[in-house]
Amino acid sequence: MTQPDLPAGKGGAVAPPDPWDPLIRITHWGVALAIVANGLINKGGSVAHVWIGWGVMALFLTRLGWGIIGPAEARFSAFPPAPRAALRHIGELLRGRPREHRSHNPAGALMIYALWACLGTVIVTGLVMTGGKSPVTIAEEKAAVAAGDWSVLVQADAEDHAGTADTAERLSKEVHDVAANLMLILALIHVGGVAVESRALRRNLVRPMVTGRRNRGVDPRA
Amino acid sequence: MKFRGLTKGRQAPAALALFLVIEASAVTFFLGDAISEFIEDAGAPHTVLEGLVALALVLGVVFGVWQLRVTLDRMQAQERALDTARGALAQVIEAQFAAWALTPAEHDVAVLALKGLDVAEIAEIRGAAQGTVRAQLSSIYAKAGVTGRAQFAAWFVEDLLHDGLRPKPGP
Repeated sequence: MTQPDLPAGKGGAVAPPDPWDPLIRITHWGVALAIVANGLINKGGSVAHVWIGWGVMALFLTRLGWGIIGPAEARFSAFPPAPRAALRHIGELLRGRPREHRSHNPAGALMIYALWACLGTVIVTGLVMTGGKSPVTIAEEKAAVAAGDWSVLVQADAEDHAGTADTAERLSKEVHDVAANLMLILALIHVGGVAVESRALRRNLVRPMVTGRRNRGVDPRA
Repeated sequence: MKFRGLTKGRQAPAALALFLVIEASAVTFFLGDAISEFIEDAGAPHTVLEGLVALALVLGVVFGVWQLRVTLDRMQAQERALDTARGALAQVIEAQFAAWALTPAEHDVAVLALKGLDVAEIAEIRGAAQGTVRAQLSSIYAKAGVTGRAQFAAWFVEDLLHDGLRPKPGP
């Protein structure tokens, strides 16, 4: 695909939407908040951790659904994983003349898929670790144990002795931790990438993810 | 600015998206609970009911997502049409101003007058005396062959309104 080089800082018909659609914005910041909350603030297996985990699963599934039936720029087809295009984009970035893209740029797209892979892994392993129990059930069980009803623990113990569940859960815990840490590192690189791209394009790329253009439709002369 | 009215609908899809996300979260929690109860004892009347509710909720979310997509598409189409109309109207105005041989100063005053600003506001923006602006407006009206501001504005709106004024076909 060949397209003419756009002068830096000038978005044309091929520039990403400004603003991004509301569903993308809400899921983006919701997932970011959940990653910070669960990855940095309450790490352990608390009930709150599980609540947030389920919440982020809902956001993730919503975004994936949006990637199929959402508007053009939100669909997966607008930002396919293309490693070679991503490398080319990074090359352009280093030379200071990145091209504009209709949706996410190829490098950004690759980062999104990497983050999603981590997020999916963390969610699935988290579900395995908790036996697929919803936070409501876990909270009820904890309340029961606190009230002196230990039957839940006995049941869990019996499952542990069976052996299979035990290894699956321990393996899940390892993968859960590694994927979560990898996701935090990728998120940092993502933030750095946005900063570099914003500088190269001389355009704030964060604002369209927060809110839309300012003073749209108002004549500058007035 | 008063032209904001045309872009006011912006908040509606955002609210719809927020509602959808909350709905999707509720569905996820409910579904998780329903599934774990289903595994414990399938076939109980309770789980059948929960299954039905879960199905309804999922369908609700899918429908909502589709509705949001349609709303966004429609808004985009409207915005494009509005941009085109703005551009077209601006072209018509520029061409007519040129035909009337307005001076650059008169051109600017005429644009501001069309935007609905009064003499005092135009004078303030242009940093000119109100008397000057009044004289320029008179000159513009004379060149356009109209009696005053209302007729001047109507000159450009008239063509756009033509269709709307046709009498409706009676029964």
